[in-house]
Amino acid sequence: MTPSLPYAADVESPLKPDELDVLRHQYEREGEYVGLQTKFNYAWGLIKSNQRPEQQEGVRLLSEIFRSSSERRRECLYYLALGNYKLGNYAEARRYNDFLLDLEPANLQAGSLKELIDEKVAKEGLMGVAIVGGLAVAAGVVGSMLFRGVRRR
Amino acid sequence: MTSERSGSPVRRGRSTSPRPLSPPGDDASIIDSLGDSRKLQALGRKVTATAGSLINAEGVSQHYHHALGELHKELRRPGLQRSVFSFAQTTPRDLVRSRISVPEIQHRALASLPDELLHNIPEDNNQYSLFQGFQASLPEEPEQSQGHRKRGKRGQKLLGGLDDDEDPNAPPSMAKLKSKKHSLSHRLEMMGVRKHMCATEIHEIDNKIANLNTMRKIVLDRLAGLEMEEADIEVDLLEVGNKIEDLQEELDDAAALAPKSPESPELTQEEEKEETDGFMSESIYQKIPSPKNKRRRAMRRISMPILHEHLEPGSKIKEIEAHTDVVTALDFDSPWGTLVTASLDDTVRVWDLSAGRCIGLLEGHLSSVRCLQVEDNIVATGSMDASIRLWDLSKAEYAPLDNRINKSSEEDDGLAFENSADPPPPPPPTIMQDCPLFSLESHVDEVTALHFKGNTLVSGSSDKTLRQWDLVKGRCVQTLDVLWAAAQATATMNTNPADPWKQTGRVTDTSADFVGALQVFDAALACGTADCMVRLWDLRSGQVHRSLVGHTGPVTALQFDDVHLVTGSLDRSIRIWDLRTGSIFDAYAYDHPVTSMMFDARRIVTAAGEDVVKVYDKTDGRHWNCGPGADEEDTPLSSTIERVRIKEGYMVEGRKNGVIGVWSC
Repeated sequence: MTPSLPYAADVESPLKPDELDVLRHQYEREGEYVGLQTKFNYAWGLIKSNQRPEQQEGVRLLSEIFRSSSERRRECLYYLALGNYKLGNYAEARRYNDFLLDLEPANLQAGSLKELIDEKVAKEGLMGVAIVGGLAVAAGVVGSMLFRGVRRR
Repeated sequence: MTSERSGSPVRRGRSTSPRPLSPPGDDASIIDSLGDSRKLQALGRKVTATAGSLINAEGVSQHYHHALGELHKELRRPGLQRSVFSFAQTTPRDLVRSRISVPEIQHRALASLPDELLHNIPEDNNQYSLFQGFQASLPEEPEQSQGHRKRGKRGQKLLGGLDDDEDPNAPPSMAKLKSKKHSLSHRLEMMGVRKHMCATEIHEIDNKIANLNTMRKIVLDRLAGLEMEEADIEVDLLEVGNKIEDLQEELDDAAALAPKSPESPELTQEEEKEETDGFMSESIYQKIPSPKNKRRRAMRRISMPILHEHLEPGSKIKEIEAHTDVVTALDFDSPWGTLVTASLDDTVRVWDLSAGRCIGLLEGHLSSVRCLQVEDNIVATGSMDASIRLWDLSKAEYAPLDNRINKSSEEDDGLAFENSADPPPPPPPTIMQDCPLFSLESHVDEVTALHFKGNTLVSGSSDKTLRQWDLVKGRCVQTLDVLWAAAQATATMNTNPADPWKQTGRVTDTSADFVGALQVFDAALACGTADCMVRLWDLRSGQVHRSLVGHTGPVTALQFDDVHLVTGSLDRSIRIWDLRTGSIFDAYAYDHPVTSMMFDARRIVTAAGEDVVKVYDKTDGRHWNCGPGADEEDTPLSSTIERVRIKEGYMVEGRKNGVIGVWSC
């Protein structure tokens, strides 16, 4: 069974360059009147990529889809959350995901994404605190040493 | 998972949009002054300025400003509160990135969605998700499901377990079969998704087509408006031109009067000379006595209306209750131009097609008009009183769009052709009084067909002769006896001496007109007669040089261009002949006798005893119906269609009940 929504793991596996090229080619060929699915395909391919600018472009395309087609908004919320999660924009990702969870509390994928975001935030936050703390300690140590050195003089 | 990012805050932005032209040193200075909120606001302003100039599309820029406004609000919050709030929500790196890096902020402004949109999320009832569509559009790989599973294992803890229904204890063949079943059902599912994708795409395209159609309609309305305006301006131009002419004449008169006395003998001589010149060479048009050509209104349009070409083929432009009896003949000069109709109620009416109303009546014939032709300003009518009359419509006292002459009251709105339901004001009887040019009277029986081209007019009559007229001299230059030609043909072709009088054609149907149709071009003349023959004449020799045999009923309609000759007959068929070889090129038949037929560049239109005009598309070979009976509803005025004319996709038909219909075709 293919789940109707991708899990976070899916977004981490980049497409092959030629696959992405196919999607891009199709997207560009359809020009101004690009079909919804084509646009999404390209956007999703971009988000799966490893390149940050491409991921950003993908998220931008998704937000365009969200604006233009209201009947796809609900699932787009999830894709946006996932894209922002991959970009590391956890605040945005959480915002979208929470909206989705408000609408569909039973959504498995959204639930797992929420956990993932929390986890990431906690980890990186701790790391940040650790870094800041470490820096502060080091500064303190250095400062005190300097201070002590000055005092000793 | 995010390890591939270096996390540098000054990472380059989206590759597709140009970067703002900020000096490279700026980023560093901004980081230095992070605490200073005023500087941050300055940064915000700078971003607004640079990015705002990049993004000019209204919708986007508005949204962009909005998003930036949100950022500003956040920036204005007290530092402590900000940090507390933010740290609970996100990571420091995200925070730093969202506050400092210019391309990042740009991207967020572009991609972030306002809350109104997020609150406006309708229930979705899609058959498949976009992600499924994505999966379905990727090329199918045989081990896809396994790869999927592997990936799934990696994220197992988040997924809450995949549907792992494989039993490790089952025998290997069983497992194999199961996996096969799995892959097959997967493919089936993919097929379903693809099918739905196609359906959705078709739906999307339908929507786009509908959109485009509305756009087309809007533009079409604009075109109609422009053509109205164009006509107005042309009228104005004409009026100004007339005024200039009048003034010029007055000036000339004044100038001529002033030095009159010294050279009066010369002048009289000149006048005399002019008179003789006029008598010798001036065309017949000017010989007709007319009370000083002051009102020389060119009825002919300068610009070419093209509106009908863009209307849906088969759509009705107008319907006029023109006559009270059967329409016997009609013709018009150009689309939206002047239409002349004749009926058994013994009137000949002139119509302005763009305004949709009667300009006047052509009076003079003693009986009904059976055939007529309009070419530029000249109208030729052939009547049952055996005469042919020529008329010059440019002499009519008709101002196409203002009602000064037609009616003194202020009923000016009647000219818009939409409200054709209003009875048009009756034209004054004097309006066409200057139109008659001259009449040609040599036939001894009713004139049933005529055609003119340039200065040559050929008429066919029930006296079984064709006459060729010179329009400049106004006299008959040749008489072609059809029966004699038929006898000649019989004599030369029939080698059997026992029966020398056997006719080539069939027995003449006495109920039909003897000469049903004819057309002349230079020295070439084609005529279709009641003996089922189509004869091609050479006017220089007066001989028939080819007879086309094939019809089994009287020929009633005929037209040729440079390649083909098309004929319609009471035998219900339309035949298309190759003019060079004289053989049949194509033929088709209808259910009833053909009473009228004409073609333009694209279509052959036929009146065949029905309440619709039969249309044959020459380009794609399609037969279709056009006319009041084509759509079932709304046909109070429908009746058998007797006559039909088409020019450049603009079709006019006349019916048995006297109604004239105008269609785009």
